[in-house]
Amino acid sequence: MSGLQGLMEGRVVLVTGAGAGVGRGVSAAFGSAGAIVGIGVRRPEAAEETAADVAAAGGTPVILRCDVTDAGQSAAAIAQLVSDYGRLDAVVHNAVSGRSSEATDFENTTLEEWEDHASVTVRATWRLAVQAYPHLQKTQGAYLLMSSPAGIEGSERAPFYSAVKAAQRGFVRALAREWGPDHIRVNSVAPLAISPALENMKILEPERVKRIEGLVPLGRLGDPETDIGPPSVFLCSDEARYVTGQTLVVSGGRFTSL
Amino acid sequence: MATSSRTLVITTGSGIGASVAERLRDRGDVVIEADPSLDLADAHAVSGALGSLVGSETVDRVVLAAIDPAAFRAAPITSLSEEEWDQAAEYPMRAAFVVLQQVHTVIADGGCVVLILPTVATTGVADLVPLCSAVEAIRVMAKAVARRWGARSITVNTIEVELAAFMLGDDVEGDAGGVGVPVVPVLGQPALPPGSAVDDVLGLLDMLAMPAAAAITGALLVADRGTVMQP
Repeated sequence: MSGLQGLMEGRVVLVTGAGAGVGRGVSAAFGSAGAIVGIGVRRPEAAEETAADVAAAGGTPVILRCDVTDAGQSAAAIAQLVSDYGRLDAVVHNAVSGRSSEATDFENTTLEEWEDHASVTVRATWRLAVQAYPHLQKTQGAYLLMSSPAGIEGSERAPFYSAVKAAQRGFVRALAREWGPDHIRVNSVAPLAISPALENMKILEPERVKRIEGLVPLGRLGDPETDIGPPSVFLCSDEARYVTGQTLVVSGGRFTSL
Repeated sequence: MATSSRTLVITTGSGIGASVAERLRDRGDVVIEADPSLDLADAHAVSGALGSLVGSETVDRVVLAAIDPAAFRAAPITSLSEEEWDQAAEYPMRAAFVVLQQVHTVIADGGCVVLILPTVATTGVADLVPLCSAVEAIRVMAKAVARRWGARSITVNTIEVELAAFMLGDDVEGDAGGVGVPVVPVLGQPALPPGSAVDDVLGLLDMLAMPAAAAITGALLVADRGTVMQP
């Protein structure tokens, strides 16, 4: 993606949940922009493809064990990037619960299911911010959260996922004001994109995917690297130096009333 | 305007929720009020309490103000411990889930659920990151629930009031149980003259209980006298 070339040259970025889907695509986009990309994953062996994408795009991949529900792992991942490359310019928190694509039976489920979502999307959002703060303060960097349209519209089948993604929007608005004096920008992207779950659905239920695509004015689901990646890079780059506290809905026009 | 419905009010015993409960009772509504000391994030306790309070009959209306104003504390996120973050941000979210889940078993078909929240998350407020996160999560959880319960003709809506009104209710000279109201930067002046936020909320509660409002669900009604006019 030549349009991103140089936007993040020499900048250091940590992307969580970077092993697949949007995280993988966004990592590759940061690679295209010339960044050193910390590929945060629970299992390092699952990051090889992302690392190859980042390298092929022109970036420098760094595979990091980073289960965001483990405070020690996220702290160590940030510390390693800062130790090895001397700086941290952006954190992109993209990881979600492994149950995020499951339907939630709200009336019959338990707090354990809530905890699965909250630990990754709410608590880790706060903890990563606290851990990254001194480094982002030095670079006047950016914190970007991967939220979701579900966190705005409230999904019938995913009330927990919707709630935790909404929490991120409230977090973004408040923290943007709190960190504004430090010149750290805080934003979120709400993407509609092909995910591993949707890839499976394409094979198993192609008609359902066609129905979903039919709801998108641009007629297709977003590509993680080429559709979601560029706006994510932009929001972390100097080009967005005056943008903070915002949620950018990147959905091909699927959601126009959010 | 008193209504003949049975209203279940769930509050933490102070702030606007408590004031609304008192006013409803004063004007002759049938009000069932949960014990303010109830741990709202304890599913077993909430289930037992609502079961014994409501009995074999259902309620027609539920008013839920589940965030404890006395727990608000303005502080930068970097100063919070895990426990403080949990209490300020995640506990209210868990409580909202537990209460809404249990409400589902006691509310009649065609009933209305109204959540009352502060407006802070609409604009975001520095040093109130946990509260802003909780409010936005609860508001969207309510929208998801509105979609789920629509088939039973149950409406679920949210009313938001300014933070001071949320924390103090009718006790406008109070100090919110010694906590004090965090200073919220002035982001706009109210378009309307000052008035009672409790009155404003009561008016909206009555409106939402009317048959004419049966088509309103998943909505956010901001009763802040035109301070934050959403884009």
